[in-house]
Amino acid sequence: MTRVVHYLNQFFTGVGGEDAASTSPARTDGAVGPGRKLQALLGDDFEVVATVSCGDDYAAGEPKAVDEILALVKDAKPDVVVIGPAFSSGRYGLACGRLAAAATQAGLAAVAAMHPDNPGLDEAAGAPVVRSGEAAREMGPSLETLAAAVRKLVAGEDLTDAEGRLGKPARRNRVADENAARRAVALVLARLGGDREATEVPLPNFDQVTPAAPVEDLSQVTVALVSEGALVPAANPDKLESARATRWAHYSVEGRDSLPSGEFISVHGGFSTVAANEDPQRIVPLDVARELESEGAIGRLHGEYLVTAGNGTSVGNAKRFGTEWVADLRKSGVRAAILTAT
Amino acid sequence: MAENNNAGEGLRRLVHDVDAVALGDRTSYESGTLTVSADEAAAHFTEEALGQVRLSWASPGESVRIVKILDAVEPRTKGPGGAGIFPGLLGPARPQGRGETHVLRGAAVVAAGFLPRAQEAVVDMTAPMAELSPLANTHNLVVEFDPPPGVDWAVVSAGLRQGMLALAAQLAGAALDAPPDHEETLPPLRTSAQGGRSGGGQDGLPRVGAITNLQTQGTFKETFVYGRSFTGALPTLLGPGELDDGAVVSGQFGHPSLKNPTYLYQNHPVVAALLERHGKDLDFAGVVISPEPVDQVGKELVCAHAARLCADAGFDAALLTKEGGGNADADVALKMDRLEELGIAAVGLFAEMAGPDGTGPSIVVPPNRATAMVSTGNYDEKVELAEVERALGGARVALVDEPATARMELPTAAFYGALSPLGWGRLTCGETVMRTAPS
Repeated sequence: MTRVVHYLNQFFTGVGGEDAASTSPARTDGAVGPGRKLQALLGDDFEVVATVSCGDDYAAGEPKAVDEILALVKDAKPDVVVIGPAFSSGRYGLACGRLAAAATQAGLAAVAAMHPDNPGLDEAAGAPVVRSGEAAREMGPSLETLAAAVRKLVAGEDLTDAEGRLGKPARRNRVADENAARRAVALVLARLGGDREATEVPLPNFDQVTPAAPVEDLSQVTVALVSEGALVPAANPDKLESARATRWAHYSVEGRDSLPSGEFISVHGGFSTVAANEDPQRIVPLDVARELESEGAIGRLHGEYLVTAGNGTSVGNAKRFGTEWVADLRKSGVRAAILTAT
Repeated sequence: MAENNNAGEGLRRLVHDVDAVALGDRTSYESGTLTVSADEAAAHFTEEALGQVRLSWASPGESVRIVKILDAVEPRTKGPGGAGIFPGLLGPARPQGRGETHVLRGAAVVAAGFLPRAQEAVVDMTAPMAELSPLANTHNLVVEFDPPPGVDWAVVSAGLRQGMLALAAQLAGAALDAPPDHEETLPPLRTSAQGGRSGGGQDGLPRVGAITNLQTQGTFKETFVYGRSFTGALPTLLGPGELDDGAVVSGQFGHPSLKNPTYLYQNHPVVAALLERHGKDLDFAGVVISPEPVDQVGKELVCAHAARLCADAGFDAALLTKEGGGNADADVALKMDRLEELGIAAVGLFAEMAGPDGTGPSIVVPPNRATAMVSTGNYDEKVELAEVERALGGARVALVDEPATARMELPTAAFYGALSPLGWGRLTCGETVMRTAPS
């Protein structure tokens, strides 16, 4: 009998919707919700012994969440960890991707399922992820793909495209026979000769973000200031990187009407910070935001600003920051954010 | 027709190979050995803001790490006192690129030390660095400096630049009377023979040129052309000899791996690769240099302008290069699209920013219409360096907060010229198949 531990978010375990998104991790015995169908698909050789669940905001926004979830998973002594499907839900996908990475790192067999555009795919760090549909209406076929992948994984076989394996192959540095300039000349001559397909870099397939609906009445909502301008307290207490950021930080503006020069600095590596340091509010416009707040133009200014450094940041990290910011801001009841970019 | 622009005369390189270096009482070049008087060399750095200037050699194979590298210059001169080399900065601001230029090949003058907006740039003179930096393959005369507190850093930067160019000219001057080891001839710039495109080049060959974007993001992130900052300029057309003679000089200290040192403008790899095929597979059409504006309107203006300039100069195809990170990707991508719209084939050289594990999207701003891209490697991949005996340029590597001589792991992004946008390196990306089971 192969012991399966299944991870789902708060919605699919029936804890609740967005109102329950901040629920912390919990474990119940046996299969729950879609886990029952998974159990049926896997058959009698497998047993879903436990289901671990967590709210999306907690799972995506709380740094210790993945460790807590993994601890609950491990306590149930799984032979294989089955994660999701997360469909195209960003926060759920981040949690699934991170759990797949952490479980694999810990030596457990694990497989997650999500839609190919889910930002959680980048979090899996090469751990197995298979394709799911875009939304829960495709639960049936998505679970069938996942169950087939679980059987292969347990049998010690590699997952391939045929099993819906997602994630593009890692692009690793290697030394070519000729330098890039000579290869570029060869490529342009091939192109002039009629080859319109040749390239060393496949075009990335960026997803399209549908903008949120406009806020109906700004005077009734909490608005946050967020920035990639790397504005931090002068001592840079969180050691925010000036380039190639792997993390973001948040600083309180509660009770403040200004961000004085000297107290806050920009550590951004991509522009001259002289003007920013003379008036930090040109990066994070607290002065103007407070005016708007006192005029009643916005309901309330959020009590902290979120910040990272947008300089040489990988698209994967930038997507993750965005998803984590959404989780963090939603948790705080923020309905609109002003992102200042440098 | 043809042979009608820029006075129709090319440039002859008189190349002197540098096989060995030393410090000595006077500066000389003899039988491949370059001996430098540290006192004579330091005398070129007259700017007081530099403080005490120190000179030392770092040669390939030595257990030495150079950190905080700012720029590198190849020693060159056109005659006694420079005779017009580095026009606009050392020589008068007059068009260059004709006549003869003496080149000390295998040596570089390298400045290393703190500047406020500079990002940590590292080179080891030992393995595995030979494939990761042009400077791991040259004998480097490293210039260190020691500014007093409260100094104006822009003055420090300008003083360094001026001193490096003067020193480079003086070193090459030591070889003026030596017989060259090689002679190389660069063709003059010619516009289209028939004044049109599609095989309008010599012998019916396609006319292929380069578009070289120069970083123009303000102090410490700018590039000088004939001595003037190129910020705010419109694209212009240069011949290869002008680059050889130092018409383009770097004042850009960000993005170490994606930096174009003065040394590589003097030895532009894409221009060199095009000239290798000149008269055989293609007719070299020249180099369009373009600024990289920081705002979208500026980017769109210079990209459309550069594409039009290429069309007017009879380009059938162009190879595009950048300097900088994701922002500069946009300048290459936009130009590629504008060129393809005008029927000019475009190939862009891009570094990839695919994340440490190589699975993220590679290009921050990809082209929409053009598709042909060459990869100069992944920015984020980590490389481990062994401990070394000595370090130049600084006592610590700020990026990892370690002593500069320590064993350390750094992203490829930190190595000077590792992902050379000008196409110097052999680095590229290959795809590896992932395993599913934990290893």
